[in-house]
Amino acid sequence: MRNVVLNNVRPFVDGKFGEPTKMCLVDGAWADSAPAETDEFDAKGALAIPALFGLGLDFKEPLRDDIYTFRDGVSAMRRGGFFGGLYESSANPIDDSQKLTAMQQLSAKSGMEFAFLGAFSMGYQCKDLAEMVELAQGGAVGFGDGNKDCSRSRFLRLAMEYGSMTGKRFFFMPLDDSLRHHGLVHEGCYADTLGMKGIPRIAETIAAFRILEMARFLKVPVHFKQVSCGDTLKLIETARAQGVDVTCDVDVYHLLLDDSCLFDLDSHCNVPMPFRSAEDREALWQGLESGIVNAISMNHDPVLRQDKEVNFEDAVPGAVSLEIALGAIWKPLCTRLSAARAVELLSTAPAQLAGACPSAIAKGGRANLVLLDPDRPTKVVPTLFAGQTRNTPLLGKEIPSSIVASYIGGVWTEV
Amino acid sequence: MSALEIKHLFGLRGVSKHDIRMILDNAKQFREILERPVKKVPSLRGMTVVNLFFENSTRTRTSFELAEKRLSADTVNFTSSNSSVKKGETLVDTLRNIEAMKIDIVVVRHKGTGVPKFLADNSNAIIVNAGDGAHEHPTQALLDMLTIEEKLGTLEGKNVTIVGDIRHSRVARSNLWGMTTMGAHVTLCGPSTLVPRNTELMDKVTWESDVKKAVKDADAIIALRLQKERMDDALLPSMREYRNTFGITHELLECAKDKVLIMHPGPINRGVELDSEIADGENSVILNQVTNGVAVRMAVLFLLAGGRANA
Repeated sequence: MRNVVLNNVRPFVDGKFGEPTKMCLVDGAWADSAPAETDEFDAKGALAIPALFGLGLDFKEPLRDDIYTFRDGVSAMRRGGFFGGLYESSANPIDDSQKLTAMQQLSAKSGMEFAFLGAFSMGYQCKDLAEMVELAQGGAVGFGDGNKDCSRSRFLRLAMEYGSMTGKRFFFMPLDDSLRHHGLVHEGCYADTLGMKGIPRIAETIAAFRILEMARFLKVPVHFKQVSCGDTLKLIETARAQGVDVTCDVDVYHLLLDDSCLFDLDSHCNVPMPFRSAEDREALWQGLESGIVNAISMNHDPVLRQDKEVNFEDAVPGAVSLEIALGAIWKPLCTRLSAARAVELLSTAPAQLAGACPSAIAKGGRANLVLLDPDRPTKVVPTLFAGQTRNTPLLGKEIPSSIVASYIGGVWTEV
Repeated sequence: MSALEIKHLFGLRGVSKHDIRMILDNAKQFREILERPVKKVPSLRGMTVVNLFFENSTRTRTSFELAEKRLSADTVNFTSSNSSVKKGETLVDTLRNIEAMKIDIVVVRHKGTGVPKFLADNSNAIIVNAGDGAHEHPTQALLDMLTIEEKLGTLEGKNVTIVGDIRHSRVARSNLWGMTTMGAHVTLCGPSTLVPRNTELMDKVTWESDVKKAVKDADAIIALRLQKERMDDALLPSMREYRNTFGITHELLECAKDKVLIMHPGPINRGVELDSEIADGENSVILNQVTNGVAVRMAVLFLLAGGRANA
C-alpha cells in the first residue's frame, strides 16, 4: 500500500467529472486527509476514472509462459488502469477444479480482482463435458468455449443443458468454423480486392442464431464475445425482446478499426474476430448508443514478436490492448456518448457481467482509479507495454489520450 | 526517359500509366533483342538476383531466370523445398540471411498475400512479385498487355474478357488494374462461386455472368487455369459442366469476333477451360505470351535496377 495526495484532479463522482480538487488516497481508499509527509502528485486537471474491468484476458500462463506471464498481465493492467478482469485462456482451458484453484492462487497474489470462465468441454474439444458443477462451486463465474466454435450442435445442447444447473452464463465468440473456412479477414471489398480468403458475416450470424435458439429452448443465459457485425446485434435485440437472457460485448479495436486497414497488410491486424466493414463498425457504435451492447471488451491476447513479424496470413492472430485501450477509446467514446455511459461500458458493466463488484469513486470508500489526460496524445511505442509482446494494430500510431497513473488496490503506478 | 516511379514491383494496383508504358516500351526493345542471334546484353552485369520461390513454379521461374541471364545478372535459385524454411526459419530471417550475401534484387513467389511488400519493408533489396497468393502476378499481366499491344497495336479502347476462376486468380487481379490503367475495357466472367462477391473497389471493370455476352465484343479473351482442387472444395460440380458452361470452345467463339485473340497464362487444362483446337488455333497467341514474358521480365528488372546501362 502506498498513500498519495492528488492535487488538481477531476474525480468521476455521481455520474460526472467534478471540478479540479484534491484527493487523499490512503490505504486504498479516498480519505479526508493523508498522513503528514505523504507524497503529492499534481494531476494537472487529469480525469480520475473508476478503474476498468477487462473482459477477455489471456495471460498464457502456465502452458505458454514463454509468451507471457500472469505478472506481465498484472503489470499491463496497472499501466492501463484495470482493477480486474474476466480471464479465459485459449491456451489453458480451465476444465477441472484443480486448474481453477491453481489460477485463483496465481491471481490471489496480484492484488487484482479476477473472475474465471470455466471450459464447458474438456480441452475445448467439444467431446467430453467438463465438471461444470464443481467448477461453479469452485468459483467459475461462467462457461466458455475458448473462442473455438463448437460445431456439434447436440454436444452444445447437452453442455448448456447440464450447465444450466449452475445458473451460470455461457460465453461464446460466435463464428461458424465451416463458413469461416480458413478465412482470416472480413469477406468484403478489401479482402476480395487483395484476393484474401474472407470470413462472411453469416459465419457470425448463423453461429449466433444457433446459440440464441439453444438459449431460448434451454432457458440458459448467454453472452456473445466480440460481436463484430450489425446483423448480429439485430439478432440479439430481437431475442432479447422475446425474453432470451442474452448479453454481448464489442472489442475495443472493432470500434476503432474496420477492414479498410487491410490494405496496409499489417500482420497486427490479424485478430481472431475480423475487423468488419465501416458500416458494421458504425452499427457497433449505434449498439453502444442504444444499449444493445452491454460492454466493451479488451481481448488481451499476447503474441510473440516473431509470430507477428511475418506476412499477414502466416501471423498468429491476436492483439494486446490493456495498456492503451483507455487512451485510444476514451475520446471517441465521449464524442458520441456521455461520460457516464463510457464509464459504464468500460468499468461497471464488464465487472457486473463477470459477477465482480464494480469500481466506484466516493469519498470514504475504496478508491480504484485511473488518471487520464484526455487531451494529451500518446504515440504507441513498445515501451508502453508490459512483458515482451507489443502486438497491437495501433503500434506506431498516435492515440488521442494519455494515461497518467493508476491507483489500484492501494498501489500507485505512474505511467 | 525518366525513371520508374515505383521502387519495387508488388502489383499493378496503383501503378501509374507512365510506369506501365515505360515497362512495355522497354519490353518491346528487349523483345527485338530476343530475336537476335546473340540474345544477351550486359545491362545487369555485376548484379545478383535471387529467385525466392516458396511455391512451385516452372514457367515463371524459368522465365525470370532466362530474363536475368539475358541481362547478364548473376542468379541464384532458392526454393522452399531445399531451403532452411523447411527447418523452421522465418521468412524475414531467410531474407536477411540472403541479403547478407549482398544481393541486389529478389524475385519472390509465395502463397501469402503481401509477402513482397513485407520483404521490402524488411530489407534493402529491390523486390519483384512473381505471384503472391491470389493477390497479384504483375509480370504476367504486363506480358499479357505486351502481347495485346503487339497484336492489336494498342490497349486503349480494346475489350479484354477474362473468363474463369476470378476469385482465386492473381493474374485476373493484376490484369484488371493494369489494363484499365492503360485504357482497355475489361470484362470478367466466371461461375458464381469463383467470382468475388464484393466488387465495389473493382468498379472500373464489367462483371458478366453470361459467358456469351462476355465474349461478344472482346478483342482478346484470357482463359484462366481451373485448379482441380476447386472441385474438391465443392466450388464446382465437375470439370465437364465447367467446360460446357465456361470453356472456350468453337461454339462459344461463334459469338465472338473472328479475330479475337485467345490467351492463357498456362499451364492449360486442355478440354477444360480451353479446347485443344482453340489453344492451337490461329487466334491463339499463347506462345507469344511466353516469349513476351521473358522480355517483360527483362524490362522490369532492368528498369527497377535503375536502367544503368543501355540495352
